[in-house]
Order: sequence, then structure tokens, then C-alpha cells
Amino acid sequence: MPHPDRRAVLAGLGAAIAAPRLARAATIRDGAGREIQVPGKVERIFPAGPPAAILVYTLAPDLLIGWPRANRPEEREFLLPGIGDRPEVGRITGRGNSANLEAVLQAKPDLIIDSGSTGRTYVELAERVQQQTGIPYALLDGRFDQTPASYRILGQLTGRSERAETLARWCEDSFATIRGRITAIPAEKRPSVYYARGPRGLETGLGGSINVETLSFLGSRNAAADTPGSGLAQVSLEQVLAWNPDVIVTIDLAFAESVRSDPNWAGVKAVREGRVHLSPKLPFGWVDFPPSVNRAIGLWWLAKLLYPAQFPEDIRKLARDFHTLFYQVTPSEAQLDRVLAGRG
Amino acid sequence: MSLVASALSYGYREREIGRDIALDLTGGQVLALLGPNGHGKTTLLKTLLGLLPAKGGTLTLDGQPLAGLSVGERARALAYVPQVHAGTFAFAVSEVVLMGRTARSSLFAAPSAHDRDMVEAMLQRLGIEHLATRPYTEISGGERQLVMIARALAQEPRYVILDEPTASLDFGNQGKVMSQIRRLAGEGLGVLFTTHDPNQALRYADRALLLRDGQALASGKASDLLTPERLAALYGVAIETVRGDGKLAFLPG
Amino acid sequence: MTSSLRGNLIALVLLALAVLAAFALGRFPVAPGDLGRLFWSLLTGEPSSLPAQIETVVWNIRGPRILAAILCGAALAIAGCAFQGLFRNPLVSPDILGASSGAALGAVIGIYLSLGLFGIQLAAFVGGLVAVGAVYAVGSTIRRGDPVLVLVLTGVVVGSLLGAGIGLVKYWADPYNQLPAMTFWLLGSLAGTAKPDLIPLLGPVLIGAVILLALRWRMNVMSLPEEEARALGLATGPLRIAIVAAATLVTAASVAAAGIIGWVGLVVPHLARFLVGPDFGRLLPTAALLGGGYLLAIDTLARTAAPVETPLGILTAVIGTPFFIWLLASARGGWS
Repeated sequence: MPHPDRRAVLAGLGAAIAAPRLARAATIRDGAGREIQVPGKVERIFPAGPPAAILVYTLAPDLLIGWPRANRPEEREFLLPGIGDRPEVGRITGRGNSANLEAVLQAKPDLIIDSGSTGRTYVELAERVQQQTGIPYALLDGRFDQTPASYRILGQLTGRSERAETLARWCEDSFATIRGRITAIPAEKRPSVYYARGPRGLETGLGGSINVETLSFLGSRNAAADTPGSGLAQVSLEQVLAWNPDVIVTIDLAFAESVRSDPNWAGVKAVREGRVHLSPKLPFGWVDFPPSVNRAIGLWWLAKLLYPAQFPEDIRKLARDFHTLFYQVTPSEAQLDRVLAGRG
Repeated sequence: MSLVASALSYGYREREIGRDIALDLTGGQVLALLGPNGHGKTTLLKTLLGLLPAKGGTLTLDGQPLAGLSVGERARALAYVPQVHAGTFAFAVSEVVLMGRTARSSLFAAPSAHDRDMVEAMLQRLGIEHLATRPYTEISGGERQLVMIARALAQEPRYVILDEPTASLDFGNQGKVMSQIRRLAGEGLGVLFTTHDPNQALRYADRALLLRDGQALASGKASDLLTPERLAALYGVAIETVRGDGKLAFLPG
Repeated sequence: MTSSLRGNLIALVLLALAVLAAFALGRFPVAPGDLGRLFWSLLTGEPSSLPAQIETVVWNIRGPRILAAILCGAALAIAGCAFQGLFRNPLVSPDILGASSGAALGAVIGIYLSLGLFGIQLAAFVGGLVAVGAVYAVGSTIRRGDPVLVLVLTGVVVGSLLGAGIGLVKYWADPYNQLPAMTFWLLGSLAGTAKPDLIPLLGPVLIGAVILLALRWRMNVMSLPEEEARALGLATGPLRIAIVAAATLVTAASVAAAGIIGWVGLVVPHLARFLVGPDFGRLLPTAALLGGGYLLAIDTLARTAAPVETPLGILTAVIGTPFFIWLLASARGGWS
């Protein structure tokens, strides 16, 4: 038996030592600070929930395996054909875990993406799913102002850094422009906003809730902000009258239609002054949910509602551009009308 | 005027408990249903009260088939004194007796003054008027039995049917309750009671029916019927007889 | 003074105090003087010359809500009394036969299908009635043993099935919009009550309450063992159906209007028995007054304690539990 070549042995050893180094070089930190191995190729991404699905769709629609919940026809027409109608695959996180891990595996994803809370519960869930399935599971920080960072991580993971950078920049530029125009506005000139949900308009987001992140971003005075908590709560109409908000933003069509003629609401300043606004929600909501990049265009919309003098931009143009860049479908005028009417 | 059963068979839907019962309860008379426990006495009582449908034979109340009467009609003729129980809610004694007026007033009616007078009269008749406001759950077993009898009398029935009226009573209370029962017959009511104690049947009943395995071993005048031989057959044990002062008593074993 | 009169007087005073407090308190400041003027103008018909908003707050927001709280509290209390008597068990509450779970399932289905407010209320109401109807139908096909016990067991079984149904609909629901709405509904609240909500509440509650009050003298006998009640001349079968139907009607209507509010139907009957004893003739009116006052006081707390509403179901449990324990500890022998 011939002696092994000394150099070959050394090279082998070197490779053995170098290999983990190489692998380490191909890892990045996700939104929760976890180290994720960048897959060699990413052709199929499983979204753990609606926010992740939207993020993946806007960056790399072809990679999206499916949607946590099938899109309705009126939503699909704003999305790329062949992608907006991809099948329902369920959720991994969120309040109902409706995706079966075997079904996840059967979908043969190269990567699982989740966007939302980076709290311990979700970190541990990510770890566990990653271990059980052997598929890298990246957890992105779902907070609104972290959207650019999430795009960049996702760009690196999928090898689509260039488009990720474009989208991240669009967000950052928007943030900077909007912040720049409102910092000068003194606190007392900022309108107080009541965010109304539910058919009676008596559900609202507390100060720290993800539902009113963009309102907080805009420095408006959230009527319910003084109440500690980070979720939704019910309030009495009497309390709304006491708050007497300057502006009401709602996502509920029934409420938006009834509030203007409801004598009980007639005393509220926002109603008196015609400042009740129904949020657009096609294909995804502009204000509240799903809490993903869809709220970026909502940020402009809200900025115009709250500070009309500072934001002369045409919302139609902004919306058309946003749709074209992020959803990669340019809506027709008729479609834009429908979006802006807040129906759907 | 009597409660008459002939060739009566009785029991539950899927199970016959007894058959071939013939009995005749008339006003002013006390009939004892005597037998060991678990031989169908209570089931027979419920059948005689119309609470269980008869499985065969005939059962008539004052000439009319019992099954053809409404619950209200039955309750105005037949009163039931169940075995004493504590009850769930702490009704006052007078309220318990007032429930006896159910069949005497309409469905939605509040108790009338007459109803309340009747309650008072029945409490007095049984010598328990001092208990009127006491919670039924807090009085003694003997007192409860008297309250149950008062409730039955408040129904103004023609017949009173008592299930083991002395089963859970102490010695003194047994005497009290049994002499009240005797008094009812004296006032013209037909009284039927179940017991497993032949001495009670002997002492307080005019007639007796010996029930074993759901069948009548014998029936007839209590003093003639109750012999050590028949009792031995009824209970399956030897019976000792004690005599004295012209009276008779039985001892088991 | 008889215990009944005293009990009703206490209940009435408590209710009046609760009404007064409920009108006076709220997140929107209304001065006591203004409140007095509003009541004066209501009595005399003279205009109050107060800002319209104050009138709105008092008559259109507090008023309907106060009435709804009283109706729901009274309804749950008398339904609790009726069911406790019927099932001869003082630990029974109005949802024993699935009225609440059925209504809850109806409501979450309504929310899931994005029905309107009235639709959801109707779905809840119908759900409650259907659930109890199903329990009764299934229970009556089982002809073994005590019919009352069979009914309770059927109620428990059907109730847990309904609970699974609620869970399933929540699981299907959109987590951003429908799920919070369902959660709020299930926790119970009168937050949105407006005048139009009162009609679907008032009608069934009045009908059910009138039936129960009319039958209250017979309910004493219904609380006896089945055969004893029949021997006293009561047609227990039809009467039980009438009582269950009436109690279910009021329960379903109040659950449809206010969501799931536990404890009222359990605790208030005890409190009322404590005051006037178990006789239903006296118990039902007292329980209705007490229940109305109790829920009104709780609802006033729910809407004034913080800028956001505290769910009623949580408050009734937090207040009800220690109260119930105290009642158990201080009750004389047996159930007073």
C-alpha cells in the first residue's frame, strides 16, 4: 500500500479546516440575530405567514411557493398572473398553526421565511421547525421601520440583492422624505387620530400595537396611545367623544358608511369636518394588516390625510408607482379608483 | 269509592317487577304493604299513584281507569308521601306544605288566602305549626315526615299513599308518625303505607298485603294474616312471637 | 316588614343607585348639574338648552347601554334561578343546556361570514335556541333514568361539541380582523350598544321573563324530584319545556346582545335566595332586580375604569369568584 502523498493529506486537512470557514462565510444574521446558512440555490420559498408572503412576493415573486391564505379574485387582479393565484399553503406561525410540517416538506422549499415578532416564542419556533425539517428558517423583524433591513437580508438569502436594494431604498427614501417634512410640525399642530376598527368603529389599536405603527411613525397623536398595551381594545363611543379626534382612520367599510349619518357620532370633530377616511385594502391593506410592506404606500396616504399642506403629492401617482415597483403590475385607472375607494 | 287493582302487573319499560296484584283501598281504612326491602313495594306504590303506567291488569280510582285521569285529577284524589329527603333548597316548612295546593289552583295563580289558611290548618292538625317558618332542610327527620304528611293533606285527597313513612325515624318519632296515619283513616281517608316491619302492619293497619318478589303472598285482615308462618315465608327467616297484655309482637330470628 | 319586602327593597335601592351612578359616570365628563337639567327636561318636556353632545352622551350612549345592562343582568339572573330550580342544583348556570355556547358558535360563524351587526346578533340568538333545542331533542330520545339528569349530561356533551366548533371557526378565521372580533365577542361587552340594539334584546327578554314570572309559583314544585312533582299534580313534561324555552329565550337574547357573560346567572340567584329565601314566587322578582343592578354596576365599572373597555366576562369572573366563595363560606347549612 503506497504512502499517501504528504501534500494531498495536508490539502485534505486544509480543506477540512477551511470548509467550516467557508460555510461560516456563507451565513448571515436574520432579523432576530440568528445565524442562517445561505442556501446554495433558492428556487422555492415557503412563507410562514401573510407578511412574509408579501415581502417575498414583492422581492422575488417567482420563488413564492404559495400563499398562507388563497387570494380572492379581486385581490388577484393586482398581482402577477400565475403567482397571485398560487395555492393556499397555510401558516406556520401566527395564532393558528395551519400548515402541517409534512406538507411544508412536500412543498420542497429551499428556505422558510417568517416576518413578524422576533420575540423568544418565534425564535424558538423557528429553531424547532428548522431542526425538524432541515430547511433554513429565517425570521425577519416585522416592525414597519425594519422593512428595508428585512429586504436586504432577504436579498442576500435569495441572491437578489440588487432588487432588494431598490425596494429598501424606496422605503428609506419615503421614510426620510416624510420624516423631514413632519419634524418641523409642532406637537400641538399635529392632528389627533382615532383608529377605528369593527363595524361599530369601537375597536382600536393601543399605542404600542402593530396595527397603528404607521400612525405612530407619522407622529400623530393616537387617541388611544395613553393606554398601555400593544394590541387591540374595545372603547366606548363616549370615550371617543371625550377624545374628540381630529381625524378618524378606519378599515371597516360598514362603519365608514354609517358614521357620517350617525347622530351619535355627529359631535366628533373628525366627523363634523369630514375627516373620516376609509383605508384602501387592495390587494393588501394600507394601514393595518397584514403588517408588511403594503403599509409603505399607506404611509404616504396617511401623511397626506394628516398633513395635507405638507404633502401635495398625487396619491394616484404614488399608488401607481408603488404597485408598478412592488407588485410589478401597473393598475389601470379604473383599478386605481377601486383601490382608493377602500372597498374590496 | 275505592282504589282497586286487579291482576295488576307493573314495572319499568323493559322490566316487569311484579304481577297478579289484587288490592282494594277504601276510605277509612289503613292498608299495609308489607315485605322485605327490594321486592317491589316502592314500584307498586308508584304504579298505584299513576306515576308509572301499569303493564297489565286493571287499576281504577273510584270506578274510573286511573290511566285516563290527568295528573291534576289524580293529585286531587291521591296524595303521595315519599320517603323523607333533605331537599335541595331551604324552603320554609309552610312553603313546602303550600306546594300541596298545586293541584287545587290554576297554573299561573299565586297562592290564595284560602291556600294559606289550608296550610295553617294542616300544620296545626299535625301539631307542627311552630315549625312554619323554619327551613325544611334544618328540621329533624321525624318533623320532615310530618311536614310531608301535612303537604299530602293540603292536597285534600281521598287517599294517602306513604312510602316507608318510618324508615329513617327514631323510635319515638315512629310512634308519632304512625298514630297520625291511623288518625287519617279515622277521618275517612283511605291510607296505604309500605313497611318492612310486620309489627307496624299489625298495630296500625286494618288490612295487609304481603309482597315478595313482586307477587302477593297473601292479603287480608292484618290480625288474621300476620302469622309467624307467613312472615317466615315472607322474610325467609324464623320468627319468634312475643305475647302479653292481649297484644302480639314479632321478633326476627 | 316581611323578608320578601325587605329583600325587594334592598334590590330596588341597589338598582336605583346603580342607575344613578351609571348615568353620572363615564369617560365623557357630564356635570351633575347638567345631568339634573337633562332629567328635568325629560320630565317636563322643556328643552334643556345643553350642548347636543351632552344630550347624545346621556340619552343615546349611556341610556341604551344602561337599559341593555339591566335587561341582560335581569335575564341571566332569572334564567339562572329557573335552571337551578329545574335541575335541582344550585351550581347550575343559564348555559347548562348550551344556550351560551350555541349563541357563541352562532356569533363566531356570523363574524366569520362577515355578517352585519344585526346578522351576528341574530346568528347568536338562533344559535342559542338551536343548541338548546338539540340538547332537548337528544335528551328526550334517551328514555333511561332521571330525565333531568339525562338532560344535564346531554347539555354537557353538546356544550363541549359546540366549544370545539367555536375553536374550529376561530382557527379558520382571518387572524388580523376576524379573530380579534371573535375574541372581543366571546369576552362579553356592551360597548357598542345603541338604541336599535335594544329591540332584539327587549322583545325576547320580556316574553321569556313574563312566562317565567307567570310560572314562578309552579317552579317551587318543579324543584322537587320528578315523581313527587307529578304526584302533586304538575304535568312536569310540558312545564319543563316551557321553562327551558323561556329561560333559553332570555339567555340567548342577552348573550346575543352582550356576548358571553358568566357568573351573573350563577351568583345572583344565590344572592337573591340569601335575601328572600328559595321560594320562586319571591325569588324571581328579587333576582331580576338584583341581576339588573349587578350587571349595570359591573358594566359601569367596565366603561369607566380605563379609557379602553374592560371585558364584562372578565370583570364578572374577577368579582364573582371571591363573592361566591364568601357566599359558600357564610351560607347556613344547606343552600339558602
